Amino acid sequence: MAYAVNVEIKNPRMGKNTKRLFPTLIFGMMCMLTFGQVQMPKTPTPTNFQIATPTQDITPNVVPNPLGNPYYDGQDRIRRQNEQIIAEVERNEQLLAQQQKQLNDDIAEFNNNHINYSLPSYGNIEGTKYYREVFEKLNRTDPNKFSVKDLNFQIENAFYENQRDKAEFDRIIKNIGEFITAKMQELNYGPNSNSAKNFMLFQFFSDTLKLKNGTEHLPFKYDFEDYMGIKDYSKMFVTKLLATQTGQCHSMPLLYLILAEEINAEAYLAYSPNHSYIRFPADSGKWYDIELTNGMFSTPSYVLQSGFIKSEALQHKIYMHSLSNRQLLSQFYTDLAGGYIAKYGYDEFSATVIGKALELYPNSIIANLTKANIDANRLQYVIQQLDIDPSIPEERDKIRSHPQAVEVLREADCQYNKIDNLGYTFMPDEAYQNWLQSMKEQKSKQDNQTIKEQLKGFMDKKQLKN
Amino acid sequence: MKKYLIYCILFFSCFCTTAQKQEKLFEQSYALLDSMLEDKTAFNFKKAVFSTENAYLNGKLDTRALNKNIAFYTNLAKSIVASKTLVYGEKDRETVNKWFSIFQVMCDTVPFYLKERQYISKPFGYDFTDVFGHQSKESLFVSKLLTNHKGNCRSLPYLYKILAEELGVDANLALAPNHVYIKHKSERHGWYNTELTSGIFPIDAWIMASGFVHVDAITNGVYMKALDNKESIALLLVDLANNYNAIYPENDGTFVLKCAETAIKAYPHFGTALILRAETHKKQIEEEKDNQVASKRFTLLEKEYQHIHEIGYRNMPEQMYLNWLVSLKTERNKYENKNLNTINKK
Repeated sequence: MAYAVNVEIKNPRMGKNTKRLFPTLIFGMMCMLTFGQVQMPKTPTPTNFQIATPTQDITPNVVPNPLGNPYYDGQDRIRRQNEQIIAEVERNEQLLAQQQKQLNDDIAEFNNNHINYSLPSYGNIEGTKYYREVFEKLNRTDPNKFSVKDLNFQIENAFYENQRDKAEFDRIIKNIGEFITAKMQELNYGPNSNSAKNFMLFQFFSDTLKLKNGTEHLPFKYDFEDYMGIKDYSKMFVTKLLATQTGQCHSMPLLYLILAEEINAEAYLAYSPNHSYIRFPADSGKWYDIELTNGMFSTPSYVLQSGFIKSEALQHKIYMHSLSNRQLLSQFYTDLAGGYIAKYGYDEFSATVIGKALELYPNSIIANLTKANIDANRLQYVIQQLDIDPSIPEERDKIRSHPQAVEVLREADCQYNKIDNLGYTFMPDEAYQNWLQSMKEQKSKQDNQTIKEQLKGFMDKKQLKN
Repeated sequence: MKKYLIYCILFFSCFCTTAQKQEKLFEQSYALLDSMLEDKTAFNFKKAVFSTENAYLNGKLDTRALNKNIAFYTNLAKSIVASKTLVYGEKDRETVNKWFSIFQVMCDTVPFYLKERQYISKPFGYDFTDVFGHQSKESLFVSKLLTNHKGNCRSLPYLYKILAEELGVDANLALAPNHVYIKHKSERHGWYNTELTSGIFPIDAWIMASGFVHVDAITNGVYMKALDNKESIALLLVDLANNYNAIYPENDGTFVLKCAETAIKAYPHFGTALILRAETHKKQIEEEKDNQVASKRFTLLEKEYQHIHEIGYRNMPEQMYLNWLVSLKTERNKYENKNLNTINKK
C-alpha cells in the first residue's frame, strides 16, 4: 500500500540529526540533575527525548525565558522544537499524500481511458440505419393513436433493410378484411357486433372458410420448428406467417390485431409465460381468451395451469392483462430492439430503445428481460477488459477499485432484482411445449366447444332479432 | 328469605362482573391490536395472537406454559441452524437457514439430545376434526396446537410466524380461500410458498387451480399476497370479531363492526373482513324496525356485496376446501416446487 511508504522515508533522517542533539541532551540531563530534588509537576522522561531527536533543529532564535530559569528554558525549547518537528512531519506527510493522490488519479485516468464502460456500437454497419429510422418514427408516434399494421410492418422491414413492399402488404390485409366482412354478411351477422367480428376473425385463423363465390381460406398452422426464432428471427414475423400460412405465438396474435384494426374490431394482446394471446370483450361485456396457436378458446384456468405464473406476476399485471395502446406501443419498441439484437447484437442503441419501451410500460416483462440481457452483456464486456475472472471470489473483489465498473454491476443487479420482484420465473422450453400441447386434452377441448357454442348462440339469437 | 335474596343478588352480580370482565378482555385485545396498527405499541405477533385467544378463553390462557413451549421450539430451531444442514450458499443464507429450521421443527421428526439422553420431537399433525372451528373457536388456536400437537391452516402458520419472530426473521402470511399459508422471498428462488398442513412447498398453480380463485382476486391482492405485519394484524382483528360473535351471539354488532373497519383500513382488499362487515350490516338491517331506514341501508349493503364480487372474492364451499387441501398430497408431483430441491424431502 501507498501509505506504508511514507513511514519508511522518514527513517534515514534520524542518523544525520543525532549528532547535533547531543548538546541538548546533556543540557537537559543537567537540568534534571540540578533540579531533580525539587518536585516538579512533570519530569521529562528519556522517551520524550528520543521522540524529539529525529528531525530536531536547534534554532538560535529561541526566545530566552525571562525568568532565566534554565529548566524552564530547556523545557520550553524542547516543546517548541517538538512542535516544529511535528509541523514539519505533517507538512511532509501532506506533501507525500498529495503526490500519491496525484499518482493514483493519473493511474486511474490512464486506466479509464482504456476501459469502455458502454457496449461497442454496431452503428457503423450500414443496415442499422433502418432501425434508427424506425426508432425515430416510433418516437414521433402518438401513444394513443397509431396503426398496428404500419408500425409492425416498419419493424419487420427494418430487419429486411427496407426491401419489402408496403403496398403489397397493405393489399393482402385489405383482401383478408374484405373476405371476413363478406363472410359476415353471408352469415347475416350484425356488422357492428364486436362478438361477431371477433368470432369471424377467430374462425379465419382456425377453420376453413369458404365464400359463395368460391374463394376459400384454410386455417393457419402452428410452426413447431424454431418457434422462438433463435436460428431465424424472421420466424417471428407477420410477413412470414402470411407467406407460409404457418406461425407462432408472436406472429399470430399480431396478425389478429392487424386484421382487427382493419375490420374495426376491439381486441387486445395479453401475455402469459413465454407466450402471447388475444383477449376481446363480447357484446355482453364478458371477456374471452383466444389461443391462436391451437385455434381454440382458452380459459384463465388453462393459462394459470402452465404452473409458471406467480401471484406477484398477476399483482404487477405482467401476465393475463389486456395491453393498453400505450403498452402495445411499448411492445413495438421491444420488438424493434429484439430484431436489432438478433441481427446485430447488444449495444447502447438497443439499450436506448428498451429504455423507451420501459418508459411507456415500466412493468413490461419482455422489455425488462431484454434490459437484463443488455445489462449482463455490458457487465461481461467490462469485466473482460478489467481482466477479472468472476468465477474466483478474490478476483471478483477487484471490481471494487473501479467505481464505474461497480456502477455497471449495480445496474445489472438492480435489473435482476426487479424481474424477481415482478414475479417472473423462468419457464423451460419443454414445459412450454407440454403446456401448449395440453390444450389438446379432453378438458380444454370441451371448454373450447362450450365457449364456441355459447358465442355462436348469442349471434344466432341476434340474427333472429334482425 | 332475606338471606336468600341477598345470595341471589350476590350470585347475579358475580355473573355480571365476570361477563363484564370478559367483554373488557375483548376490548383490551382490540386496543392492543389497534395500537400495533397505529405504531403506538411495537409489533409483536405472539402477544397479539395470545391476546385474542385469551379474550375468548376469558383470561384462562396459561401464557407462562405457552411461552415455555415456544422457547423450547425456538431453541430446537436454533440448534438446527447451528448444525448447518442446509446446502444453500446465497447472500441471505442466514435467514433462509432459520426459515428452514422452523419448517423442520414443525413438519419433521427431529432427534435431539438433552442431558445426554436422546429425545425425538415429532412434527405437528393436521387436525381433521372441526377444521373451521364450528364446534369451538378453540380448535383454531395456537394455544390448542401447542398442547394437542395438532393444528390446522390457521394455527400452524401463526405458530410459524411466532417462531420466526422469536428467531428474528420475517415470515409473510398469505391467504387462499379458507386458508392461510407462508410466503418467503429468497435470493435464489424469488417468492416461494411454504404449506404447513402437508409440509410441502407448493407452486402457485396449486391455489390458482383450486377453481375458487378468480384472476382479479389475485391481481387485487385479495388472495396470495405476501401480507406485511399490519395486514397480519388485520387477520387477527377478524379472528377477534368472530370469537366475540361466538361468545355473544346476540350482540348488536358494534364491537364486530369496529374490528372489521379497523381490519379493512389496514388491509383494504381483505375479503373475509369485507364479508364480515357486510354480514354484520345485514344482521343489523334485519333488526331494524323502521322500514325506510332499512331499505336505504339495504341499497348500501348491495353495493358492499358488489364491491366484494368486483375485487374477485368468491366463497369456497367447505367440503371443496378439504378435497383441495388433500389434493396437495395426492397430486404432489404436479404442485411441488421443483426449484426447492435443497429443501424438499426425498
